Amino acid sequence: MTFEQINAKVVRAQVGPGQEVLARRGAMLGYEGQVTFRPLAGQGQGVGGRVGAVMSGESNKMMATEGQGRVLYGFRGLYVTIIQITGDSLTVEADRLLAHSANLQTSIEMVGGGGGMGGAIRGAVRGAMTGQGLFTTKLSGQGTVALLSHGGTFPLQLNGEMVGVDPQAYVGHVGALQVDLKASVGFRDAIGRGSGEAFQLHISGHGTVYVQASEKKF
Amino acid sequence: MPTIYDPNSLPVDDNINHYAFSIDLNGEWFTSKGAMIAYYGNIDFSGVAAFASRAAWVAARFSSPLYTQDWVVAAGQGKLVIGDRGNDINSYDLEDGNLTIKAVNLLAFQPSLELKQSIVPGFVTLIGTGKFLASSNGPVIFVEPPFRADPDALLGWADCPSPSQHYDYNWMAQSFMAGIQGMFGRESGEERQYDFTGAGTILMQSSEMLRVDSALMRIVESQTNLLDANSAGALGHKLIARAQQSNM
Repeated sequence: MTFEQINAKVVRAQVGPGQEVLARRGAMLGYEGQVTFRPLAGQGQGVGGRVGAVMSGESNKMMATEGQGRVLYGFRGLYVTIIQITGDSLTVEADRLLAHSANLQTSIEMVGGGGGMGGAIRGAVRGAMTGQGLFTTKLSGQGTVALLSHGGTFPLQLNGEMVGVDPQAYVGHVGALQVDLKASVGFRDAIGRGSGEAFQLHISGHGTVYVQASEKKF
Repeated sequence: MPTIYDPNSLPVDDNINHYAFSIDLNGEWFTSKGAMIAYYGNIDFSGVAAFASRAAWVAARFSSPLYTQDWVVAAGQGKLVIGDRGNDINSYDLEDGNLTIKAVNLLAFQPSLELKQSIVPGFVTLIGTGKFLASSNGPVIFVEPPFRADPDALLGWADCPSPSQHYDYNWMAQSFMAGIQGMFGRESGEERQYDFTGAGTILMQSSEMLRVDSALMRIVESQTNLLDANSAGALGHKLIARAQQSNM
């Protein structure tokens, strides 16, 4: 347990040798002890990671927190959710990452699944339609992650069912889940009288989906 | 069912909820412009400057000309409700003490307290005995020195010496751009903190969107008096270049 929730918007991390923390730049609120910060160019390994870092631009500028001490993290008054990862993986948009244990492996993936050109195109379509990024970050291993949201998140458990989620309300998910974008653009949407829910994420499989009670992006 | 309040059931000098505070006014309070969201009773609001011309004590308590135009005196009898855009509102009681707080977060204070500008730009110090109200983004976090705080997340401090600035040279050496920007006095992230030592309490909040403190520009402008004409002109050119760059 490296993160401690101080209040809805702030977490405290215990940093030590072997317990380094990666955090969003500008998210450090204060610290005690011998702690230093080191900017990182981009996260993720391999070509995908580098391309992802370039494509997603400034949004995932991270920094390493090293040394020995206790550090407070928070970002612009956004709510913080702490999620423990124990051997499985968490998929989340890079700009929702407040901080995570440095020993977690991160990789950047194209959204849409399936891989290949088809996956990329679906991802691009989803990004264009929902305002979400084309890339998401996948964290796996053993460790703790702190996520940003508007108004906090709540988990939805899936045991083989399907859940439909508004793309703006989707925060991230843990486990082996299939995420598909479904468009139901009809005549009413074309003339501006749609339900406002023309695009939905259909998520199915076994795992947990984290949803924020807001349609506000950041 | 939400509670419905009337002048008698509104709390007496206490929070209505996390985001609103009810002052039981009987006399005067200083309030920042825009902090009043509702009031019952016979309350008169007038600018600090206007009030000072009628009551000499105001000038003695409000010793901060830079902030005069941002503050009003609420005088009269009634219930005065204070809020600040959904931020948490906290009340503090000082007993012959001092507390320094970010100027944009200070909402109201009793005239038994004295307001002075802090040496640290953008902060004001309250001295004496009395109650004051301040907003924070999320609940206030209290920590003790030794502690280093990010300037955006620092809400204030009590009973400890003014902070010094700590520069993280590790950060500046690791980040080439940070080093370059540092030479121009700009910042790229976590290279600068306020360093607190000694005994006291530090108040922290979650960092927030940059809020415009109208007095900050006046503070900086007044400090340019230190420059001679040539340096002031050079500074002017740099500022114009920066403004044009950020417009692109």
